[in-house]
Amino acid sequence: MTQTALLAARSQRAPGAKRPKGRSRLARVPRIIWVFLLLPLAAELALVFWPALNSFSLSMTTWNGVGPAVNVGFKNYQDLLTDPIYQTALINNVIWVVGFGGASVIIGLALAVALNRPRRGIGIYRSVIYLPMVLSLAVTGIFWRVLYQPDGTLNLRLEAIGLGFLKHQWLADPNTALYAVLIAAVWRQVGYIMVLYLAGLKGVDPALEEAASVDGATAWQRFWRIVMPQLSGVNSIVFAVTVIDSLRTFDIVWAMTRGGPYNSTQLLSTYMFQESFTVLNLGYGSAIAVTIFLLAIVFIITYLVRATREES
Amino acid sequence: MNDRITLSRRGFLAGTTVIGGAALLSACVGTGGAAGGGGASGALTLQSSLSDPAPKAALASVVKSYKGKVTLNTVAIEQFRAQLSTYLTSSAPPDVLTWYAGSVANDYASKDLLLDVSDLWKSGGACANFPPALKALSTAASGKQIFVPTNYYWWGIFHKKSAFAEWGITQPKTWDEFLAVCDKLKSKGISPLTMGTGSTPWVASGWFDYLDLRVNGATFHRELLAGKHSFDSTEVRNVMKHYAEILPFIDPNAPSYSWQEAVTPLVQNKSAMYLIGAFVTQSVPTEQVDDIDFFSVPTIDSSIPSAEEAPTDGYFASAKTGNKKGTLDLLAYLAAPKTQQDFIATSKSSNLPTSPDVNTSGFSPLVQKGVKLLAETKEITQFFNRDSSDALQTTADTALTKFMAQPGDVSSILKDWQTAAEKVWKA
Amino acid sequence: MTVSNTIAAIAADVRPPAVRKRVSRRARSAAWFHGLMIPLSLLWITPLAFILFVAFRSFDDISANGLGAFPTSFSLDGFITVFTQGGVGQSLVNSVIVTVSTVLTSLLLASLAAFALSRYRIPFRRGILLLMLAGNLLPPQILLIPVSRICEALGIYDTLFALIVVQVAFGLGFYTFVLHGFMRAIPGEVFEAAVVDGAGDLRIYARIIMPLCRPALAALGALATTWVFNDLIWAMTVLRTETKFPITAALLNLQGGFVSQWNVVAAGAVIAAIPTAIVFFAFQKHFVSGLMVGSSK
Repeated sequence: MTQTALLAARSQRAPGAKRPKGRSRLARVPRIIWVFLLLPLAAELALVFWPALNSFSLSMTTWNGVGPAVNVGFKNYQDLLTDPIYQTALINNVIWVVGFGGASVIIGLALAVALNRPRRGIGIYRSVIYLPMVLSLAVTGIFWRVLYQPDGTLNLRLEAIGLGFLKHQWLADPNTALYAVLIAAVWRQVGYIMVLYLAGLKGVDPALEEAASVDGATAWQRFWRIVMPQLSGVNSIVFAVTVIDSLRTFDIVWAMTRGGPYNSTQLLSTYMFQESFTVLNLGYGSAIAVTIFLLAIVFIITYLVRATREES
Repeated sequence: MNDRITLSRRGFLAGTTVIGGAALLSACVGTGGAAGGGGASGALTLQSSLSDPAPKAALASVVKSYKGKVTLNTVAIEQFRAQLSTYLTSSAPPDVLTWYAGSVANDYASKDLLLDVSDLWKSGGACANFPPALKALSTAASGKQIFVPTNYYWWGIFHKKSAFAEWGITQPKTWDEFLAVCDKLKSKGISPLTMGTGSTPWVASGWFDYLDLRVNGATFHRELLAGKHSFDSTEVRNVMKHYAEILPFIDPNAPSYSWQEAVTPLVQNKSAMYLIGAFVTQSVPTEQVDDIDFFSVPTIDSSIPSAEEAPTDGYFASAKTGNKKGTLDLLAYLAAPKTQQDFIATSKSSNLPTSPDVNTSGFSPLVQKGVKLLAETKEITQFFNRDSSDALQTTADTALTKFMAQPGDVSSILKDWQTAAEKVWKA
Repeated sequence: MTVSNTIAAIAADVRPPAVRKRVSRRARSAAWFHGLMIPLSLLWITPLAFILFVAFRSFDDISANGLGAFPTSFSLDGFITVFTQGGVGQSLVNSVIVTVSTVLTSLLLASLAAFALSRYRIPFRRGILLLMLAGNLLPPQILLIPVSRICEALGIYDTLFALIVVQVAFGLGFYTFVLHGFMRAIPGEVFEAAVVDGAGDLRIYARIIMPLCRPALAALGALATTWVFNDLIWAMTVLRTETKFPITAALLNLQGGFVSQWNVVAAGAVIAAIPTAIVFFAFQKHFVSGLMVGSSK
């Protein structure tokens, strides 16, 4: 297909090469083109950026949803620093980023490498791994709750194979709850990461690998010295996407545990939701949302910079 | 030439942005809700949080029999609670909402979000002959009534008559007798107490409330929930001491159950007793409902006057409703004796009607017993969150579920609870 | 690459004799491969399998034998309850309405913006593009409260229209970015030729560029369908009437109402999962290529 070939060709162009003639833009911008652009841009500004700015201003107030908001300056942020639940949520989020992010990337990459070369049945394996991604997070939460219930699949199977002493109340035990939810989330995310890496691996030159193997490099060496450097572009995208997604995780934790038992699965996003909508402490909740944004901004900028570099 | 055009385009853009921005500024968050309702008269909206199957069906049938047109919207209670302030502050709010009397209702009333329903409480109105205690419960600080109570229920330790007979247990009258019963059941391999503190952690506050009522009395309990006493006080420590006594008897799977799921072991004779509200009968299979009996939480200190929890449910209306007359009419219908009777019958619950005109002689013996319990007790409180606030309930949920898992940490748990509670009271 | 390696590489491609050795090595590695992948795949679909079990069991079976036991009954009660009392039928319709409208509208708007940004010298075009993309990366939590109030003020609160509008706005950035990349890859000659032919901008957009973008549109469409269909948080924010809920929010309601009836909840979850699974199997190829188009940089 012409387009994919063109894309491939484009991405293989050395950086700094002169743009071939015939790609110039029109200098004169017709009115209708302005409309083409402004309609979507206005929608996004109005419904995404304006609310975001609003949240910033809301975070400087105390408001319970009714009547005017009362300005309190940075008090909400000061309170966050001494809030033990916020600290727990922050730590949990770090565990989440490392655990969820790390596990899905490692497993996703491994599966991508394993399922890269065409073999019999590879389509089926790829589909099976990717299938959970099309399920909604709420549905995923329900599926896994069935597995984790005290009389659910996991406990009954453990008992059946004689490991009954390992039975737990997976979602009610604060020691296991976060990891139980994490496993469910990883199960779903792996397919996505795998596909991203499959795409990246397509751009890896197989001849280089062949040559190295003839030279006597082991599979491990080949992977780290030859393949990984060529994946640097995909790596940074995966990294940025993973961190951003980890900070935004909400649905699956909410569906499985609501942040309990006693805050052991509380993440920044669930705490924000709880403060805003259960306790109706909207100013405080907005402050938490702003901190989520600030934590994510570094990675958002990384992603954008990377994306820009590819654009130019 | 191009530059000039581009500049003027920029100017045009800038102008649009400013105008658009101004328009949106008026939609700026935090400047108070839009004023005035705009609802056309027509179908009324009843926003309900009764999402369990039986009450939901009961309300639906009651609404269907109403002479006017009513749209019933049922939303799961958690989402309902999260959106309640949005409902009330919206410019086209639901006309009538299910909820309960207590701090939340008064909070919204003080912000003028609730419709004044004092007309219903005046002589000739639907609520005119309700007991004065209910009227007091439905009155806001402004002196106006803003709530229409339609049913209430008691809390007690529920069990199956046949199961008790089988195990040779009689209802205990004192705390020591109660602990002895639990011991006996445990030695038989039966889990003495079932509970569901997983997705419904507020159940743990049931025991807390009752132990506080039995050990320290209703006055202390009310003051505690109002912030006049510390959770880290000797009195509360005393309560937790007694709470620790029953922890070994609670079903180990309780942290994974919702209150509804905790009924299953009771029904299957795997568990013996459940401190819960009378609404529990909704979740009991129909053929076993007659086998259910209860007894009040036994006395711990005979010098403390008796007290029971009797949360009251009902309806309030939005002040911004577009159809005031229709709304009041619907509320009057919902409060009417016949409606209350039909609702209670269809919802299979053992709830009690608020209207004294409902003939309770036809109700089951269980309900009669409940009526008698509440009539004879000296003090009545509502429940933790209704007497205080949902925010304080969250602190209780965290503290009590942690206590149930780690009773040894009671000192630090109570300290943390007090810190969290102070934040709520200061807000 | 050294000369010897190059020669070796070429020689390796043309190989004859070592075939048998390589074939048996390949057979062994194939055995390893399938030996690992088959159990892994089975493990991977365990959650799906068990939910199906639970959905088709009777309530009594589950209470008696436990949630994780193998089924000893077959019953459609769960599904029947879900449809008659759970309002699932209506919510599926809502989901379809919202998803189809959102996907079509977002792709249309995104292609317009991408066309403008990729072919015309619009000032700050790179900045605008990145700004739009950034909008898609924001944590939605930061938007919930203000968006619900804005919908309120615009008078569209609690309408499917609001849900569509909000989801279109939120997703635009990503689709614009991807389509922009795709359109930039179309050779300028095509464009110039059309201009020389006297075609107007609208015509160029509709008759020339859009058909060429079909693969990207198909891929993004497949992805977008999944994302919009599975959304929960926007539905929870802007809707309050039960009959307007899409299936994800209805499922949450179902869970609240039928807490201890796992067969009903499981049946609901299965029904919620079927539409996106169907889309997935029908457009498998496009899912993969969609992500690749967006990330193959």
